[in-house]
Amino acid sequence: MAKRYDAVVIGGGHNGLVNAAYLARAGLKVLVLERRHILGGATLTEEIVPGFKFSVFSYVVSLLRPEIIRDLELAKHGLEILPLDGTITPLDDDYLWRVNDHGKNVRELRRWSLNDAEVYEEYGQLMAEMGRFIKPILSIAPPDPGTISPRHWLPLGPLAKAFRDLPKKMQTTFIQLMTMSAADFLDQWFETEPLKATMSASGIIGTFQGPRSPGTAYVLLHHYMGEIDGAFRAWGVPRGGTGSVAYAIADSALSLGVEIRTEAGVARVKTAGGRATGVVLSSGEEIEAGVVMSSLDSRQTFINLLDEGELEPSFRDEVMRYKYRGSSGKVNLALNGLPELACKPGVGPWLRGAISFSPSLDYMERAYDDAKYGRPSERPYIDCIMPTLVDPTMAPPGKHVMSCFVQYAPYHLEGGEQWDDAKREAFGQNVIDTLEERFPNIRSLIEGHQFVTPKDIEDITGLSEGNIFAGELSLEQLFFNRPVPGWARYETPVKDLWMCGSATHPGGGIMGAPGMIAAREYLKLRKRGRRAA
Amino acid sequence: MAPRADVVVIGGGHNGLVVAAYLAKAGRKVTLLEAADQVGGILRTTSPADGVTAPGIAHTVGRLRASVVKDLQLERHGFEAIMPAVRMFAPQLDGPAVTFWADPARTASELRERNAHDAEAFSGFDAKMRAIASFLAYVNVATPPDAKSPSIADAIMGLKLGKAFRDLGAKTGREAIRALPMAVADLVQEVFDDEAVRGPLTTRGVLFTSMGPWATGTAAVFLNDSAGTDGGAAGTAVFARGGTGALAGALESAARARGVDVRTGCEVAGIRSKDGRVRGVTLADGTEIDASLVVSAADPKRTLRLCDPVELNPYEVWRAENIRQPGATAKVNLVLSGLPTFHGGDAERLQGRIVVGLSIDHVERAMDANKYGRIAEDPMLEVTIPTLTDPSLAPEGSHVMSILFQAAPRHLREGDWSTERDRVADLAVKSMERFAPGLGELVEAREVITPEDMETDYGLTGGHAYHAEPALDQFFAWRPLNGEARYRLQIEGLYLAGSGAHPGGGITGGPGANAARQILADAKR
Repeated sequence: MAKRYDAVVIGGGHNGLVNAAYLARAGLKVLVLERRHILGGATLTEEIVPGFKFSVFSYVVSLLRPEIIRDLELAKHGLEILPLDGTITPLDDDYLWRVNDHGKNVRELRRWSLNDAEVYEEYGQLMAEMGRFIKPILSIAPPDPGTISPRHWLPLGPLAKAFRDLPKKMQTTFIQLMTMSAADFLDQWFETEPLKATMSASGIIGTFQGPRSPGTAYVLLHHYMGEIDGAFRAWGVPRGGTGSVAYAIADSALSLGVEIRTEAGVARVKTAGGRATGVVLSSGEEIEAGVVMSSLDSRQTFINLLDEGELEPSFRDEVMRYKYRGSSGKVNLALNGLPELACKPGVGPWLRGAISFSPSLDYMERAYDDAKYGRPSERPYIDCIMPTLVDPTMAPPGKHVMSCFVQYAPYHLEGGEQWDDAKREAFGQNVIDTLEERFPNIRSLIEGHQFVTPKDIEDITGLSEGNIFAGELSLEQLFFNRPVPGWARYETPVKDLWMCGSATHPGGGIMGAPGMIAAREYLKLRKRGRRAA
Repeated sequence: MAPRADVVVIGGGHNGLVVAAYLAKAGRKVTLLEAADQVGGILRTTSPADGVTAPGIAHTVGRLRASVVKDLQLERHGFEAIMPAVRMFAPQLDGPAVTFWADPARTASELRERNAHDAEAFSGFDAKMRAIASFLAYVNVATPPDAKSPSIADAIMGLKLGKAFRDLGAKTGREAIRALPMAVADLVQEVFDDEAVRGPLTTRGVLFTSMGPWATGTAAVFLNDSAGTDGGAAGTAVFARGGTGALAGALESAARARGVDVRTGCEVAGIRSKDGRVRGVTLADGTEIDASLVVSAADPKRTLRLCDPVELNPYEVWRAENIRQPGATAKVNLVLSGLPTFHGGDAERLQGRIVVGLSIDHVERAMDANKYGRIAEDPMLEVTIPTLTDPSLAPEGSHVMSILFQAAPRHLREGDWSTERDRVADLAVKSMERFAPGLGELVEAREVITPEDMETDYGLTGGHAYHAEPALDQFFAWRPLNGEARYRLQIEGLYLAGSGAHPGGGITGGPGANAARQILADAKR
């Protein structure tokens, strides 16, 4: 007889694990199924080059909800986040270096623009306040605009009131953040090109948009919502790489009684009478479940795991038109020494933070232009960090790991061409060429490398089209439209099949919120059902 | 003592004339001041050759609000709409052109030969666009709410809009909410396969803007283009008999008939105010006119620059200066010795808008140039030949070709508009020659209205015909600025009634009519 669980969670990425842990915490018998031999999904540490641990995909943490860290006691289960200090933007003969020290930043900015130095603080405070204002949205299940049910809309009441009570200045800023391009938004304050470009990078990460595309100011805010130990806008690297976030959550889940199986890919969601009853594994094994929670994206869940007849054609169409369009790649390098910047030689604290290849807005926009027409950027935006400087355990002594987030690398190539080994190699070598312009000695230091294209992201993690957020963070795919208009409350048209991954509100990043809210909403419904019964 | 009016209206464009006529109709003593020597604003015509009348900036008037035509009895004052059966003719580089007719069934039936899938999809898309646009028409007549302190009137408006929204049905309602913040390229791409259908449709989401079709929010521009009119997917194509200036003439006549004192050649140099209350205006020649209400149909930045900065606080000045009005459109008028021959374009098909938007990528590339301060080498064009439906506009046998050219940024990184003017005309002709060989030889005279001219001759800050970019950050309750969307600006007694106010640009008369209603409602309180 098939095994039976209260809940089966498909996917052992951070959201699947968070979801499982919360369900188990409420007393449910939960099983997590992961296709690969290793947990984490895109929150993954893997030893690709012997002795060097790469955070293969996502590489920094900031958005992980603090309540999740508390509720699941992640610190106890091994999570330790080491803060990254600052960002340096190397230029031809100069650099812009910002650190976590306000006074130093103002002095640095004064070299560039008195105006920018002066408004920098005002801007930072405003954004922090905006982050605080928007934070409650991160834990709300979005309403369905097609209904007037108070159950959907009441949770928004306090937020509407908070909005009304905001000073006009902040109201305006909020509206602008929801609608403007990152470049237009920043242009209102700043004039220093490398500053604007580096700041605008937060607005384009993971999206198929350029800094001048309206809507990117929202992504800017999305990245501002991060906090570490209550400090807003702080980014850090987990000790042991991002995979250790997944393993801390997994450890917590195990302690709450969750069962976790790896190399257990789900082939199909079983249904009976329009209701999900369990899953069938690729091996043919069947598992019964009271509820099936999918942390996969909507295309994987609805198109690949369900029979076509299970869904209304119009719903399938809506799933199919959902935008993925992966736009980013990774280059992970194993280095046998520290590279030096041409514009700031030597080894110093500037190498301990992010090194941002973003000299001007035009540079960023041109990078996007290439991608729009189906080509990897000739000169990409690169966000480069060397985690070994804060966490030496990632590489053998004296050696280093460099993680380069690269944008743009479009999933869909010009003329319908597909990514292949030659294209991956060319992509990676071009990134190294770009790095070499700022780190002249880098080639001689490379001991091994890993080039990751959006196609690789798709193949390895299952994220459709390699979109790291499990669906483009564009305005029409947010909140009550995420992942399908009318189905943003984690339930799906198939009863007892739920969504709990980044494809749902509030979206991607190592945040964990979708997994947590989905669990909460399911438990609420279950309680109501019990009471009714 | 300075002469006195109840209301001074600044600017005699269509919205200025509309707001003046409505206020005069309600019994106000209105003086309208126009800086140029004729009224009309972007409806003004030019004469690039003897006996030829060409449209200055706008060349079609299909979005004019029906209630404005009726309330102001514009037909009695000489306005006659010409509505050809064709809406849009889209010539192609390879193969036959695509024609979009007023009748969607006719469009679909012609498309069938080219692309059966798109032909099938067209009617459904057209119907959906009409449904969403009909909801937008409600939004467009509304005065945006005040988010800070919503009033009972706001609540009633909200309920009305809520009802209109619910009337769409849950499914279309969700679609409307999803569509509004989209990129027009996505809106069109998820329905149609053929670039020859996609390209021309997307041009309607970016015309008169500085955005490309992949920009979020261009779907709203596209949908607004049809709101309240019989636009549908193909948009409108309506001409005024006698040229665009004839509509301006009808509006002027309607305003004068209601007692508006219309003065041309009167440039306003300043808006006078004291203790936060408007006192009147000062003209460029130093003359002062007292008024308790000043209604500006000029663009918002220009309007606020006319005010005493001491009356506005520094934050408000900073905000006003950040209103975005990046003009990216130039106008080329050609006088032709004969009708050019288009591949597959009989005279009937050329009567509407001829659109050169060959694919989404083509339109996007054309608008890319704008980002780097360059003129597009292969521009997106919207062309009309008004003489086809109204031969009175040129001597017999001659034709006028009016070309809207994008992108032509207001601020060029290299060179300036004194040297680049001719290049725009050359590029336009070169582009059109591909579809109408021999066009160049027919050109008898030509004129170019650059975005710089739009700023200096038409008073449009940034050379932006819509007064403020119609992007989502300058939309509805925050057009032109959050907290200033109810037509009343900063200073008591100062109102905005131009395209920079909700519902925005285009020949609709909407901002003027809405502002008049709001001014009269405020006066009652």
